[in-house]
Amino acid sequence: MPALTFNNVSKTFGDNAVIKAFNADIHDGEFLVLLGPSGCGKSTLLRMIAGLSDITSGELLFDGDVANDWEPKQRGVAFVFQTYALYPHMTVRENIAFPLVMDAFRKWYHLPIVNIIARHRLMKRPDIAERTLKIARQLELEPLLDRRPVSLSGGQRQRVALARALVRNPSLYLLDEPLSNLDAKLRTQMRSEISALHHKVGKTFVYVTHDQVEAMTMASRIIIMDKGVVQQVDTPDSVYDNPANTFVAKFIGSPPMNLIPASVRADGLKLSGEISVDHGATLPGRREVTFGIRPEKLELKAEGEGRLPARVAVVERLGAETVIGCRLMTAKGQAEELLIEQDLVFVRVSGNPKMQIGETCSLDYRAEDVLWFDIDNGQRLS
Amino acid sequence: MPFKKLTLKLSRYLLIGMLVVLAGFPVYWMATTALSLNSELYGSGQVIWPQLQNFPQLWHELGQVPIGLWLFNTLLIAAGGTVLSLTLGSLAGYALSRFRFHGKGLVGFLLFMTQVVPEALILVPLYAMFITSGLLNSLTGLVLANVGFSLPVACFVLKGAMDAVPYEIEESAIIDNCPRFSVLTMIILPLIMPSIAAAAVVAFFAGWNEFLFASTFLMDRENWPASVGLASFVGQYETPMSAVMGAALVFSIPAIVFFLLIQRKIVAGLTAGAVKG
Amino acid sequence: MTGSKIRSGMTRLVPYAFILPPMIYLMVFMFWPLARQMYMSLTNTRIINPNRGRFIGLGNYERLFDDPAFYLSLKATLVYAVLAVVFGVSLGVISALAIDRPFKGRAVVRAILLFGWAVPNVAASLIWLWMYNDRSGVFNRITEFLGLGRFPWLTSTELALGSILAVTVWQVAPFVMLVVLAALQSVPHEVREAARIDGADGLSTFRAVTLPHIRPAIQLASLLVCVWSIRRFDIIYLLTGGGPVGTTSTLVVKIRQIAFEGHELGMASAYGAVGLVLALAIAALHYVVEQRRMKWMSR
Repeated sequence: MPALTFNNVSKTFGDNAVIKAFNADIHDGEFLVLLGPSGCGKSTLLRMIAGLSDITSGELLFDGDVANDWEPKQRGVAFVFQTYALYPHMTVRENIAFPLVMDAFRKWYHLPIVNIIARHRLMKRPDIAERTLKIARQLELEPLLDRRPVSLSGGQRQRVALARALVRNPSLYLLDEPLSNLDAKLRTQMRSEISALHHKVGKTFVYVTHDQVEAMTMASRIIIMDKGVVQQVDTPDSVYDNPANTFVAKFIGSPPMNLIPASVRADGLKLSGEISVDHGATLPGRREVTFGIRPEKLELKAEGEGRLPARVAVVERLGAETVIGCRLMTAKGQAEELLIEQDLVFVRVSGNPKMQIGETCSLDYRAEDVLWFDIDNGQRLS
Repeated sequence: MPFKKLTLKLSRYLLIGMLVVLAGFPVYWMATTALSLNSELYGSGQVIWPQLQNFPQLWHELGQVPIGLWLFNTLLIAAGGTVLSLTLGSLAGYALSRFRFHGKGLVGFLLFMTQVVPEALILVPLYAMFITSGLLNSLTGLVLANVGFSLPVACFVLKGAMDAVPYEIEESAIIDNCPRFSVLTMIILPLIMPSIAAAAVVAFFAGWNEFLFASTFLMDRENWPASVGLASFVGQYETPMSAVMGAALVFSIPAIVFFLLIQRKIVAGLTAGAVKG
Repeated sequence: MTGSKIRSGMTRLVPYAFILPPMIYLMVFMFWPLARQMYMSLTNTRIINPNRGRFIGLGNYERLFDDPAFYLSLKATLVYAVLAVVFGVSLGVISALAIDRPFKGRAVVRAILLFGWAVPNVAASLIWLWMYNDRSGVFNRITEFLGLGRFPWLTSTELALGSILAVTVWQVAPFVMLVVLAALQSVPHEVREAARIDGADGLSTFRAVTLPHIRPAIQLASLLVCVWSIRRFDIIYLLTGGGPVGTTSTLVVKIRQIAFEGHELGMASAYGAVGLVLALAIAALHYVVEQRRMKWMSR
């Protein structure tokens, strides 16, 4: 039941720093999600845990032992690939049983003709056959046991990949974006199945995804990465409420957090350079900052009632709630497009208010809901 | 307009007809000669069309030529060469396909070189080597000499096929505690069966036709493959030409059949091997 | 594509475990003999005692370059190779163009056109030998019938090389045809049709559209045919034995002659060395052409 420790682990590919040095811990039995956009290095990191990729420097510890040079089989891991990587020429039964058969192979079984005979006989061995059947039943694969992967649907193949991972009873489960090739509905279903599996099995799961919804719903903790740099290691709640920087703040949550450049002057807070706001609480000590607030923490009010005058630009009705995108207006009443990175300020409103595009309104907030960030490096200011 | 089109079409068909005659005539003549009587061939004049009524005679004459033994030897040589080429070729192909290692470029170059070196160049040193190691006059020695040339072709064909197998499948097997060698034998090879078949036919074809090494290394008539046996008739005046042609046909037909089966793959393999460099 | 696995320890040796058996094999049966042969060319080894030659430095080569027979052989080799390429490739390209467009019975025609390459060398030698036969061969019967008399196809110094060339072209054209056909069939139809709609007739379509597409294939085929011609032994040896008077003794044939009929392994090796240099030159040429082609492709 390994607890993993990363001590200054980094990976370079030639001149390219694919993963910059970081430290982290993965607790025994937790469901840890590696989250980040494409190319951030999360899959590479997973493969380093598995032993499929080299660690350039630093130490990876399994329960305190340096495991950098351990072969995959020594690590006791199971790996579920994004493309499932099932063996196309073997039946589902043979696919699932493969790890067991390999474990049972003696050295000399690997000789060319011998291996065919050995595999055949081992498949019939009671313990292997029974365990294969048991796992297949658990994942509702029993009717498919004698089919080939090519004749299965995406969801079925995924379950076969899971079965193959389960069958060895590994101490560590590694899953590389297993749901990204499935359609939305199937994805939601499989999400809960995987979470249930984790509960049942009780072992450590390390799960890679670019979908923050998956991360937020499934993870006990999340490691967020961007461009090879670990941004934050925390629980979903913390990552949501206390993002370490603007990247995390924007990546988590849908719609993303509103980030507005602001200036702190002697006479108070100015948003977007032009909009004076009576903040009503202590302001950070810098002159230029980024003002961050989540859409659901903003309140939509009629024109003149809130501190931030705005005009409605976009209305997304989602049934139970509505997301409204506004443009802040300066004192002169112009709708300025001076916000960095996003033009619109999003606000979440429950129900279905009668807002039209172009309507003027105003937004309000509570000072304690505001998160301040450094305007240059995006780091959170405390 | 239609007139112009018609003449174009006609001339095209004419061209094709001429090409067919040029290409097919020798084989046709082989059949005709085989079915002629020796008296006609050397005396009165060969008949232009195949005389099928002479077939029983041909059959009888074939019995006097040890074509059966020769073909058997040819089969052994070709099969032995194929097995060895495929075995070593799949090892090399896998290494070139999946690994990075020092000297990989050199290996590629050496493999390419074997396609350029004339067989006659190593004829003499191999001969000397076989004398000292006692491999002269043995089919084994001949197979060993032949494989040098067909191994690289098998390697390139198989490497190309292996490149198309997704690497994740192998990683999955490695995680499942499968050693590299078994990944090759149990996972990769079953997935590239068509290419293995093509490489096998190429190697077999090469062994079937081989003449230079066979004629140099094999002294005993019992060891002669069909290529050497047939060649022994060259230059003899009293050749039973119909029998010889019949034997030649028997020798050629399997080769033609093999060849027609995999013509595309041969071209792909040879051009790939040459391009790889 | 490999995983980034240049690991330390035992796993680093795994690639070598795979590549060494074939490489050792090739070393033993190909490259060591080659090297030994280069060395042998510097000795006076005789076939009776292949392991007891005395080092004589460049003595063999001196004799070689003084020997008119060598120059004859070299000339024969070069003439043969060049003409084989010229005629073989031409015929192959023509064949490919002729059967490019579908027509009834094309599969059969294509199969027949491949006979030249499919028939084993020895069998081909036998039938052509018979066809060239002085008294009973079909060629001479035709020429007699036409009143032209009989020709000494294989025994005349003028005709011998040409006769062998005919056989070679018959064998090689199918290969060229296949290579060019493959390239032809990768020309997108729309391009050709567009040209036709634009009013281009057959010839200009060919020059502007088709030819550029198949040029790399033609180059590749030419190179391969050239290399094969240098290597070719069976046909020449069986048809003319290198005669008459050495007019068809290409380098390769000479090696066999000198080694086994003249009994001088050292000298034969010297011939072989020249052949190797020629082969390497071709390889280098091929490499250069390939580089050019790669650059052309990525234009």
